[in-house]
Order: sequence, then C-alpha cells, then structure tokens
Amino acid sequence: MNDAERKKGIRRTALIFGGIALAFYIGFILVGVLQS
Amino acid sequence: MATAAADITDHHDDHGPAKGIGRWLFSTNHKDIGTMYLLFSLTMFFVGGAMAMVIRSELAVPGLQFVDPGFFNSMTTMHALIMVFGAVMPAFVGLANWMIPLMIGAPDMALPRMNNWSFWILPVAFGILLSTLFMPGGAPAGGWTMYPPLILQTGDAFPFLIFSVHLMGISSIMGAINVIVTIINMRAPEMTLIKMPMFVWTWLITAYLLIAVMPVLAGAVTMLLTDQFFGTSFFLAAGGGDPVMFQHIFWFFGHPEVYIMILPAFGVVSEIIPTFSRKPLFGHDSMVYAAASIAFLSFIVWAHHMFTVGMPLTGQMFFMFATMLIAVPTGVKVFNWVATMWRGAMTFETPMLFSLAFVFLFTIGGFSGLMLAIAPADIQYHDTYFVVAHFHYVLVPGSVFAIMAAAYYWLPKWTGHMYNETLGKVHFWASTIFVNLTFFPMHFLGLAGMPRRIPDYSTQFADFNTIASIGAFGFGLSQLIFVAVIVTAWKGAKATDRVWEGSHGLEWTVPSPAPYHTWETPPKARIADEAFE
Repeated sequence: MNDAERKKGIRRTALIFGGIALAFYIGFILVGVLQS
Repeated sequence: MATAAADITDHHDDHGPAKGIGRWLFSTNHKDIGTMYLLFSLTMFFVGGAMAMVIRSELAVPGLQFVDPGFFNSMTTMHALIMVFGAVMPAFVGLANWMIPLMIGAPDMALPRMNNWSFWILPVAFGILLSTLFMPGGAPAGGWTMYPPLILQTGDAFPFLIFSVHLMGISSIMGAINVIVTIINMRAPEMTLIKMPMFVWTWLITAYLLIAVMPVLAGAVTMLLTDQFFGTSFFLAAGGGDPVMFQHIFWFFGHPEVYIMILPAFGVVSEIIPTFSRKPLFGHDSMVYAAASIAFLSFIVWAHHMFTVGMPLTGQMFFMFATMLIAVPTGVKVFNWVATMWRGAMTFETPMLFSLAFVFLFTIGGFSGLMLAIAPADIQYHDTYFVVAHFHYVLVPGSVFAIMAAAYYWLPKWTGHMYNETLGKVHFWASTIFVNLTFFPMHFLGLAGMPRRIPDYSTQFADFNTIASIGAFGFGLSQLIFVAVIVTAWKGAKATDRVWEGSHGLEWTVPSPAPYHTWETPPKARIADEAFE
C-alpha cells in the first residue's frame, strides 16, 4: 500500500465511521420524536 | 533486534519534542498524548476517589454526620460520572494511544491532530462538570443515569451537565474513530488482522462499541435539554412523553458502556498472563471471537437494568436469557487465561499479580451479575447495595486493576527504567486486601435489604458499613503508593528493550524508553515474525 492509497483509506474509514456516529445520534433522536 | 533499533531511529533524529508547554498543548505525538491521557485519568481517579471518601465517611456509622443529603447525592452522582468518563475511559484511551501504534508497527495514530483535540476537550468537559459543585442548587444529584423527571430538578448545573456529557461523548467518538482508522489502515504489512495482539483486538471492538453507543447517550441528553428548555416532551408524561423511554435509550448506551470499560481490560490481561507464564496465549483466535460475541450481546441485554420498571413476561425472559448468554464467551476468556497459565513457568511480578487478582475478582463480579440477571431475583436485589457490590467488583478489581497491571507492565517501556518492585507489590497487596474489605460486605448489606444512594440507614447495617468505610480509606491511601512508584520510576535500573523475559510483540523490539518517533519505516518481516511468535 503506497502513501496515497493509505491516505485515501484513512479518509474513507474516518468518514464512514463519523457518518455512522452521526446516524446513530440523529436516529435515536428521531426514535424519540416518533415515540413522543 | 539491533536492526530494528537502527530502523526506527533512522529518521526524525534531527528533531525531538518541542520545548516547554507547547509540547503538550499542540502535541500530535501519540506517546505525548497517551501520557497526557494517563496523567489526566490519574488526576480524575483521585478527584473521584475523594468523593468516594466523602460517601464512605458519611456512611461509616448510622445517622447524618458530615454532609447534607442533597450534597451526598451530588457526591454519588459526580463520583460515578468522574470515575466512568474521567478515570477509566481516558486511562484505556491513554494506553491505546501509547501502545497501539507500537504494537501494530505504525508511526503514529492515523489522525494525529484530531487526537490532540480529543484529549484537550476532556479537561474542558471535566472543568465544566466540576464547576457545577459551586453553582446555585449544587452539582447534579439525580444519579449518573440522569433519569427524568428527577434530573430535570437539577438547578443551574443542568445545562452544564448536559454540555459536559456532550463534550465527553465527542472526545470519545473522535478517539474511537482514530483507533479504528489507525488499526484498519496503518498496520505493518505483515500484520494481518488475526495476527494482531489481543490488546489491539479488544480495543478495535471497543472502538466499534463507542461509535455505536456514545451518540445514543448524546441523543438522550440532547432530548433532556430540549425537554428542559425548548418545550418538548420526549420524556415528560404531562406532555405525552414517556420517562421510561429515557431509561431504554440510556441503557442501550449504558450496558455496552460497561463492556467499553472491560474489553480493553481483557486485552491487557491477555498480554500480561502469557508474558509471565512464558507461554503463548491459549486460544488467541477464540479470544477474539469471544470478545466480539460479548460486544454483540451487549447490545441486546439493556433492559435487564429495568426489570422492576415493568415489562411483558416475554421481554423479561428474553433479557434474562440474553444476559446469561454473556457468561459463555466470558467463560471462554477465563478458561483461556487459566489454560495459558497451566504448566507455564510462572513468575509473579506486580503486573502479573494485578492480572491474577483481576481474573479472580472480576469473576466474582461476573457471578453476581449472573445473579442479577435472574429477573425474579433481581426484583429483590434491585437498587440495593448488592448492585453496588456487583458493579464495583467489575470496575475496581476489574477495570482499575487491569489499568494498574498495564501501567506496571509498560512503565519500563515508557520511562526506560524499572519501577520499584517492592513498592509495586506493597501497592498490590494493600489494594487487593482493601478492595475486598470495601466491596465484599456490600453483598451482605444488599441481600439484607440496604438501599443504595442513601446517606443514612438502619442500625442493623452498621457493622458492615463501618468495615466497608475502613476498607475504602485503606484502598484510597494505598493508591498513594502507586503515585510513589510513578514518581520514583525514573530512578530504577535501566530497562532492557525487551524488559520482561517472556515478552513478545513489536513494542518490545523498540528501545526503552521508546524513542519519540517509532516505526517511521514499517517493521521488516523478520522482526515482525519474531514478534508474532
């Protein structure tokens, strides 16, 4: 794996897991909205 | 070994760490940030510990002696928040920062600037949380679980509590993203996932848990905030909301949180026991699968914290049996640790002593957890000191002992000097005796019906409470020995690169102390193979 590929991988992994975290945050507030 | 040392010092010799306070404020070096996390954690351990001393002073004898009940409740709430989010979690993040890059052959964490930010958010968060002690209405006193509607009665401290919890969450999520990204993208070429050391594996699984559940906590406290200040009724029955929903959301975070605090401890113990047994870890791959199974199960057991709230019988049955299932992968782990020691050439240096105590005492906490999983029995135990005994056995001789074991194990690699083994052993024995003196009597108190979170109690509970208080003060004082060990750590004999006779892994192929920059050239196959054996 060269440096460019590694950097791309780092950016991609960070974005995926950041996105998952954001989805859980918004998703659980939506659960609250739907339940209340 | 010599080749490895040459490889890792080839670059960046021209510049070491920055001078002065700037080194720490602006550091992007994983070792510096790891050190800051560990020192922050130790500080918070003493702050939270001082609050525990207030609690145990008040409970030493029946009656109200030192503090008013409101302040007592603030102490239980703040003690828990500080120990969970300020002491145990940052300690494991500190260990991860220091050791994961060294163990996988990476030059640093993948996102070093975010790493700096993750750390520096923490002192701000806890500064805000601790400042609530001086606010009108006092610090939060509704328990660390922050159940509404009780928590909504908090005074001026309420928005500060919510803000500080958000900050802790942001810090944890950024730390977890960093760990995942580093492990996925920065491993040495020869290090396949399954070859990774157990500490790295357990941290990878822990990071997945953090990504999944910290936003859930953030969502729950955001909804508390809007209920209090923006006219919503997520959890307010009067407005059509449901306070029980908060408990479901909180424990969907809260139960995996327990495993966030124990899985890295499993990883630490899985590194130390093989070293001092001079044998490879028994069943490495099964340990990985067991940790992953525990993490998966942690998502489907949350309502065992809520048996007394009321739920359908099928719900009780599901959560009861799902909880009991966790004993299976946990049993695999305990079996494998014992099997690793079986016929090993064991020696009992301080890290091994703490690890052995972990195996015994964490298991006691595990068994009392099984008792609490039984729904009809839990209705009797719920909100008693039995629960306090249970989770303190999991978290103190469990998580905290593993952190101590890790500190002793890797201290020579960090400082380049051997710590004082005699002091270490005194610290271990004092801690082990006093931790049991503190928490074992709490089982009896709980079974006899003493409720938790109360500043006064019936005289029938007096003797065991006095014993527990003596134990707590002994345990607190014993930790000063640990400080003495750290302060004197730079005076000991020079540590070798490998430090321990039985140690294996890439971190032991770099010099002691570990240079400021390591693995700028990924370790070569030969070195890696030696380390993996």
